[in-house]
Amino acid sequence: MCKSLLGENKTTGALKVNGLYLYCIREKAQQKITTEGIDGKSKVFLFPYQDLEAVVSEVPLEEFDSEEIQQKAQEDLNWIKEKSQLHEAVVEEAMRSNGNTSAVIPMTFGTIFKSREKIQRTVAEHYSEFENLLTFLQGKQEWGVKVYLSNRKALEEIIKNNDNVKATQEKISVMPKGMAYFFEKQMAEQISSEISREIEIYTQEIFLALTKHAQTGIKGKILDKELTGKCEPMVLNAIYLIQTRDVEHFKKEINRLSREMDQKGFQFEYSGPWPPYNFTKLEEYDSIC
Amino acid sequence: MTQYAENQQVTLIDALDKVIEKGAVVVGDLTVRVADVDLIYVGLKLIATSISKAEELSGRSIINPSREPTAAELEHVRRLEQEIEKAEKNISTLIDVAKPKETEQGLAKLVLTLVVLIKRLMERETMRRIQKGSLANIEIQKLGLTYMALDKKIEQLKLIFGLQDEDLNLELGPLGNLM
Repeated sequence: MCKSLLGENKTTGALKVNGLYLYCIREKAQQKITTEGIDGKSKVFLFPYQDLEAVVSEVPLEEFDSEEIQQKAQEDLNWIKEKSQLHEAVVEEAMRSNGNTSAVIPMTFGTIFKSREKIQRTVAEHYSEFENLLTFLQGKQEWGVKVYLSNRKALEEIIKNNDNVKATQEKISVMPKGMAYFFEKQMAEQISSEISREIEIYTQEIFLALTKHAQTGIKGKILDKELTGKCEPMVLNAIYLIQTRDVEHFKKEINRLSREMDQKGFQFEYSGPWPPYNFTKLEEYDSIC
Repeated sequence: MTQYAENQQVTLIDALDKVIEKGAVVVGDLTVRVADVDLIYVGLKLIATSISKAEELSGRSIINPSREPTAAELEHVRRLEQEIEKAEKNISTLIDVAKPKETEQGLAKLVLTLVVLIKRLMERETMRRIQKGSLANIEIQKLGLTYMALDKKIEQLKLIFGLQDEDLNLELGPLGNLM
């Protein structure tokens, strides 16, 4: 089926050469992918190499090699939005074939090959690396856990009750007015930095408690409110690679932590399974295997 | 607590975070290089920031010169007028040439009230500057001590002229009570 798809088509007299956009590598599943490709119209197909297959779709080389596209990728948020979601949709479907999740190696955005030979050579070059990584990822899932602080007051109350702060407050109460202002200001800052320290301690506690149920875990970027669209600030963005058989335990642990931390103002949100975007560098996880 | 449905549509931020920044890297013949994900986030935040928020951030606001005054603003103006009236009456009762001792006390009261008023205003300015961060620690320290010294001096003068805190406790409209 792919033979006719790649190559040179004569349209309006000019040569139009197609390239191949690479989404991910997986073990041969032979299940077709119905999601449209990165250009929004081309079919996604499977390009086999030994027991692996590359999930690819055709893209017009001329267009993707153009200044225009390179510039859009740098500046045009709508273009970036649309394309990154199209890329992700294909990888998602490749991962979820046969109603289960199976191991895939998701590629980072924007890798295009000029010919079938080139892609074959690249897969061959990385063959053992891909094989090892897929073996490692087999039976594991990526899950994300985001924690938000919904109630800063709860933490503030805890801190205001500690002996240090109480002692400072007593000192300030007997200070002359002009001076007291400066100390009150200082104390407010002290309370706020202590809140940050408490948040650090609690989120680390949460991170480690969940790591126990995972193969490995990493901390991602803390995203601003404008990006999350939430009023509450994000305090932890953790990503885990979990054995599929441990997923239920992992979820139970989130529920337990959520109940425990609720009073302190922490809110949990989790999502998965994701293609293992965060765990594609085999050498980093060798020791854990 | 929320959990995404297992096949719920991927949110934009999740897609950006994973697809642009993460994933395996192999060298292709052609690479579409997307802007750094942090730069994309900055761009998205700019879009998410509403106009009014942007104005707030840039310190600008929309001014309508002919808008209706609020009830609080009208009350504020009325109280200012009252205070001026009260002060005019006070001056004539405080300074009476026929009673030199009481006049002296009255004058001291006015001067002290003025000193305390100025001190208050300076304190407010200091607070503003501290909030703006335009004062060094040593300057803050010096100012704090200056205000303390000034308080001591005022205390002495009050003793000399037999004045109590309440005597200086004039209501000064927008500045509130002095003491």
